[in-house]
Amino acid sequence: MDFTPHDNETINSMLEIIGVNSLEELFLDIPEDLIVKDLNLPNGLSEADLYQKLKEISNKNTNYSASFLGAGCYYHYIPAIIDSIISRSEFYTAYTPYQPEASQGMLQAIYEYQTAINRLTGMISNASMYDGSTALSEAALVASIITRKNKILMLKGIHPEYVEVLQTYCWGNDLTLEEVTLDELYKKIDENTAAVLIQSPNFFGDIEDIEEIIKNIREKSSKCLIVQSMTDPTCLGLLKSPGECGIDIFVAEGQSFGINPSFGGPGLGIFAVKEKYFRRIPGRLVGKTMEINGNREGFILTLQAREQHIRREKAISNICTNQALSSFSALLYIVAMGKSGLTEVANQNFQKAHYVKNQIALIEGYEIINKGPIYNEFLIRCPNIDLFLSECKHKGLLPPLKMSKYFPEMKDIALVCVTETNSLKSIENFIEAAKAAKIKGGNKDE
Amino acid sequence: MEYKFLDNVKYTSTHEWIRVDGDVATLGITDYAQHQLSDVVYVEFPEIATAFDKGADACVIESAKAAADLILPISGEIIEINETLADQPELINSSPFDDGWILKVKILDPSELDELLNIEEYKDLVIKELEK
Repeated sequence: MDFTPHDNETINSMLEIIGVNSLEELFLDIPEDLIVKDLNLPNGLSEADLYQKLKEISNKNTNYSASFLGAGCYYHYIPAIIDSIISRSEFYTAYTPYQPEASQGMLQAIYEYQTAINRLTGMISNASMYDGSTALSEAALVASIITRKNKILMLKGIHPEYVEVLQTYCWGNDLTLEEVTLDELYKKIDENTAAVLIQSPNFFGDIEDIEEIIKNIREKSSKCLIVQSMTDPTCLGLLKSPGECGIDIFVAEGQSFGINPSFGGPGLGIFAVKEKYFRRIPGRLVGKTMEINGNREGFILTLQAREQHIRREKAISNICTNQALSSFSALLYIVAMGKSGLTEVANQNFQKAHYVKNQIALIEGYEIINKGPIYNEFLIRCPNIDLFLSECKHKGLLPPLKMSKYFPEMKDIALVCVTETNSLKSIENFIEAAKAAKIKGGNKDE
Repeated sequence: MEYKFLDNVKYTSTHEWIRVDGDVATLGITDYAQHQLSDVVYVEFPEIATAFDKGADACVIESAKAAADLILPISGEIIEINETLADQPELINSSPFDDGWILKVKILDPSELDELLNIEEYKDLVIKELEK
């Protein structure tokens, strides 16, 4: 679609039609004392001077050569082809596809994204939500609508920031939200439970035994929905798919699929359901259909009577958008990697994380907290955590998360993330940093 | 436009019909209503054994372009739902008074039946709506 600006001739003829002399006249209702006259901005710079100034500011940034930080946002290699395709203006500037005849390209891209997620998860996907946290919250809402119950139980281990978002959504929709351990979960499920929320791999890095948990839940409740959430879906290259496990609703943060971490966004809310729930899926759904007068296939937004512009207060959700460009990046990542690439990425994450874990375990004073299987994140107890983190920075490594940021009682614990982007050199430097922190800090027991 | 009306059922101003047999009432939407909705694609049924007051929206009928509530003309307890509509929701369009029946309820207050419209009153209502 072309951009058609207003020229003076058009503006003047429009003003004449409505009987107004100038554009300024349209703002006469604003009191004089509220009209902005001076924005207190410095004078403009020439392009060359501006470039110089921005370069100076940019040079103040620390550029790490490698990262050991995860906790919901991950460094994975992003193939160059993604940027080159999403930068095409047809995709980059496309608006929401409510007019299918003018949006076939975007609609096809969304349709293929939905298909890609279906192949990965074995479940029916929508056009996407904003991010992992809101996708998880909308899953809780959908579960309460389907079951007509208000109680949400969440297994310990959900990303603390996701918990905050969940609390807001539950408060706004009169749902109760309770955090439980696995043992407490089996005791607390009853006929009023709308959903059980499980993050796996969880915030501590542990991979939960999803099938076992589902089996135990079903012994107590046949009706409640079981929701799985994850923050790094590259693990799907290795782990059994949620569809195969019997999950009812699957949500994930899709940033790991070809989206730059940037400053923590934009994200991508992956949302998929078991087939029997597909009429209750929130958000956009793109379908494929045939034209009335002919034989051509086309793409459209479908099942729109679910959405709030038709169902109003009875709609499953008030979302009327999707992360189109981010979902397109995810599609391109999945397709560029292919089945073998996704398996390779998952394998490298797994192998490298385990290598680092085993090396750290050999250093006296360090303890690995995780007892069960992990994917690419794990917890370590450090003899001198602040020293360790600063040693990492000195070596140009973005340090792991200090867990006390979210859990004050976890004073000496760090959440380490290792992905396929971590070279052997960066890993060696990381181990060196750990050793140096131990030596410099001395022995606390002495 | 010719709409079908039956004279052995009662009607509501919200375009539901109700056929009484003892203490059981069968409910659906009228031919006029199905025409307004156009192709029905899904019916969201209530749970069996739920009791509703008169005027409650017990059921949602989804078409390609709208989602309409089925409002209970009388207080009742749901005893049966038309499960064929799960696979063939279009029966509501092709046979709104017959195969497209939606719910069967146990009548909780028979006096409420007197407040419903007969065929002539309902026809007048439809004519008035078409004139708007």
